[in-house]
Amino acid sequence: MQRFQFCSPKSMDEALRFLSEKGDCAKIVAGGTDLIPRLREGNFRPEFVINILEIEELQGIREVQGGLRLGAATTHTQVAESEILQRSYPSLAQAAASVGGPLIRNRGTIGGNLANASPAADLAPALLSLNAEAVIRDGRGTRTVALKDFFAGPSKTVLHPDELLTEISIPPGKGKNIFLKLGRRQAMSLSIVNVAVCLEMEGKICRKSRIALGSVAPTPIRCPEAEALLINKELGPELIAKCAREAMAASKPVDDQRAKAWYRLEAGTVLLRRALTEAAGQIA
Amino acid sequence: MLMKENLVSLKMVVNGKPVEVKVDPTWTLLYVLREELKLTGTKKGCEKGDCGACTVLLQGKAVNSCLILALQAEGKEIETIESLGTADSLHPLQKSFIANGAVQCGFCTPGMLLSAAALLKKKPNPTEKEIREAISGNLCRCTGYAKIVKAIQNVSAFKE
Repeated sequence: MQRFQFCSPKSMDEALRFLSEKGDCAKIVAGGTDLIPRLREGNFRPEFVINILEIEELQGIREVQGGLRLGAATTHTQVAESEILQRSYPSLAQAAASVGGPLIRNRGTIGGNLANASPAADLAPALLSLNAEAVIRDGRGTRTVALKDFFAGPSKTVLHPDELLTEISIPPGKGKNIFLKLGRRQAMSLSIVNVAVCLEMEGKICRKSRIALGSVAPTPIRCPEAEALLINKELGPELIAKCAREAMAASKPVDDQRAKAWYRLEAGTVLLRRALTEAAGQIA
Repeated sequence: MLMKENLVSLKMVVNGKPVEVKVDPTWTLLYVLREELKLTGTKKGCEKGDCGACTVLLQGKAVNSCLILALQAEGKEIETIESLGTADSLHPLQKSFIANGAVQCGFCTPGMLLSAAALLKKKPNPTEKEIREAISGNLCRCTGYAKIVKAIQNVSAFKE
């Protein structure tokens, strides 16, 4: 690993001061599950590595005015085991439970999963379907970015070098939310395709729908055209199948070492059908 | 080449004992445990967090020590396989592994034992599914996992 200096700020202010001075040549380390292998391979050669795990304001899951705020340094284990999440936002708990294996989940963080911006990031589709927002701070202030505007490309986000992702904010919402992931194995697996849906139903009529996909485009995506197909309609197998096909038609999957594009399209369609059927309260 | 002036002091508690070592900021916890503290029970496998051979307990949680920068462990409590039991005083898990034939080459074993120990602290009577999930970050190339799972399931027979 190329030499770097290490610092471990104890407060948000300290971290932001450091980032405003050295952000251009620094990398943030939290769980390290994405960063350390990259440092080893020389993908990044920062002069400074900033450990954010000692900053208390980045920890914790709290209910705020009916919605939820998760500190960016919350681990996948904490997200998966959170009773609040399992009750109200199970798709997010399921997504976190699907990341890597238990050892990875005990260190990897929700902020890292998003900031690392892999198109396959497991938490992204769940958070997109829940209308999540990224709360971002720098030395001067705070800005909030809707997660659908947060990803700029593979491994690219809208974060500036002097900015820190501090919280994920989930607005209050009802709606049955489901996350499904297909990997090459049951654990320790990047997704071939992952999907998340959130439907607000009135009996068999769908009033609100949000559909998000991962691993089938340069970034995790929402599928507005497919979502629109369901609004104020009675959901049955045919409409659900049509919606799933429409959503996959909006994706741009590629061949890679995990799967071919054609397989991602097929598998994604199936996962979406299952997720939509379950969210609509029907037997899959 | 390593310049002595670049080394930074690191204080942590390892297996119940406070230790202080001088480390390079690029060193991982795995490196420091094995090379500086000579605790070689923790193994170096993939160094990418894929195999689990480097498993240690950090504040009681099973983690890949290859993915932790040593300086991130400042002030923290680390337990390595050396703390689980000794040849004279085996941990019930170790007795169960031996009795159930769950050890072949032994390379994955320290990691498997610690992942199992962490599981049993949270869930003293885990289901088979919970056991398999708890060791899903630890790869074994020898045993095919069946006897490892059985050893963890049967550990209560070896508790005093």
